Amino acid sequence: MSPGAPNSFEHRIVTGMAEMAVTANRAAILVTYSLGSCVGVSLYDPVAHVGGLIHFMLPDSSIAVDKARLQPAMFVDTGLPRLFEAVGQRGLEKRRAVVCVAGGAQILDDQGYFNIGRRNIEAVMQVLDEHGLTVAAQELGGMVNRTMYLRLATGEVRLKVSGQSTEAVLWRPLSTVWTATSTG
Amino acid sequence: MATLEHSLDGYIDRVTTLPPAPVVLPRLLQLLGQAEVDSHRVVEVLSCDPSLTAAVLRLCNSVCFAASEPVSDLLEAVLRVGFDRVYELVVVVVGARSMRRAQPGYGIDEGELWKHSVATALAARTMAREVGAGASAVFTAAILHDLGKIVLAHALEQSYARLIREIQVNQASLLESEATVLGVQHAEIGGRLLARWNFPDDLVAAVWNHHNPAAAIGYEQAASLVHLGNLVAHFMGFGYGHQALALRGREDALELTGLKPRDLPRFMIATFDQFRELEQIVAVRP
Repeated sequence: MSPGAPNSFEHRIVTGMAEMAVTANRAAILVTYSLGSCVGVSLYDPVAHVGGLIHFMLPDSSIAVDKARLQPAMFVDTGLPRLFEAVGQRGLEKRRAVVCVAGGAQILDDQGYFNIGRRNIEAVMQVLDEHGLTVAAQELGGMVNRTMYLRLATGEVRLKVSGQSTEAVLWRPLSTVWTATSTG
Repeated sequence: MATLEHSLDGYIDRVTTLPPAPVVLPRLLQLLGQAEVDSHRVVEVLSCDPSLTAAVLRLCNSVCFAASEPVSDLLEAVLRVGFDRVYELVVVVVGARSMRRAQPGYGIDEGELWKHSVATALAARTMAREVGAGASAVFTAAILHDLGKIVLAHALEQSYARLIREIQVNQASLLESEATVLGVQHAEIGGRLLARWNFPDDLVAAVWNHHNPAAAIGYEQAASLVHLGNLVAHFMGFGYGHQALALRGREDALELTGLKPRDLPRFMIATFDQFRELEQIVAVRP
């Protein structure tokens, strides 16, 4: 895909559950819907203008090795390295990568028997750490379903909580604000 | 107690937005529960409903790869596919009629409650098979487990904000908050409605107690399976409304079924696959 012309219409690329998407198309908005206990991770390189988004369902692929081969993005341990590889091929450099993480909601569970959300978050943080990446912005846990958007034109990441009508900015490049003030 | 019972049934009577009664389901459940199933009578029930007939034929023609010619006879289709699969398909088609519509009172958009119900049913069915419980009843109960929300949705349109505040401030579950704000809760209302519609006791008890399965005296296992199926659906993001995951996980549901927390990821994967398969046959999404 060639980078979109500045005025081309923005369009959504939907990343389903247990899927990932990578693009260098500046007219694209990567979106993943309804992260319950699942976790979404977005990567964005502001210089190479490459972005990626992934929607994990589970932390650990050892319970279903065959499934992980067919659908690596289902699991954090197989999916995240695969995402790094895919964005890397498009020119993303880890030292420039803006990493955002959202999801990992939990039900009310005092005993911790049903902690899939928390385990997903821990697994993501561990793999990011192993790859020397820090998180630029995150919104995790709680009891809400979240939808996550990565806008390639600016790298802005937005979240929409189900049952609420408005989206909120999770991460936005400082330079946009700085340019706005300096020219204004 | 008598007055409370009376008032809850009165509540159902006063609601003007009751979902259509899925009359075909109790009839089929009864037919299929017999030692020797009378396939002609099953076909008789199905053929009263054109959309059911079409769905069963479509299922047969999509799963019977060996068949060289497409099947157009309902009896042949039922016999080829098998009663269990036909029954589940009927539950899905009939359930959609009640559960698909948007319910603004709960912040439910069109199709959201339906997807949630299907995911719950697929998860609960897989677990039921694994523990050797009756999968048909559990599947049906799981499809209909949130039926009470359709009854309460209208009343909640005025008080949804209060409900959400109650959940957030007190870390209460949706069910507890309904009881505080409305004086009734969806699981019990759903159970009462199914009892009125002549659904069998195990199914009524499983729906009535899906948030507290230990209270389903005599039917704890079925209620536990619906409870756990519901959790799996929520984990997978098949939820709706603000504070979508405001429900309590009951550890006793694990004890009552013999399942372990470490089993749940496996059921999530199975549900993921089965949801995709089902979408090939019936449109689950709105």
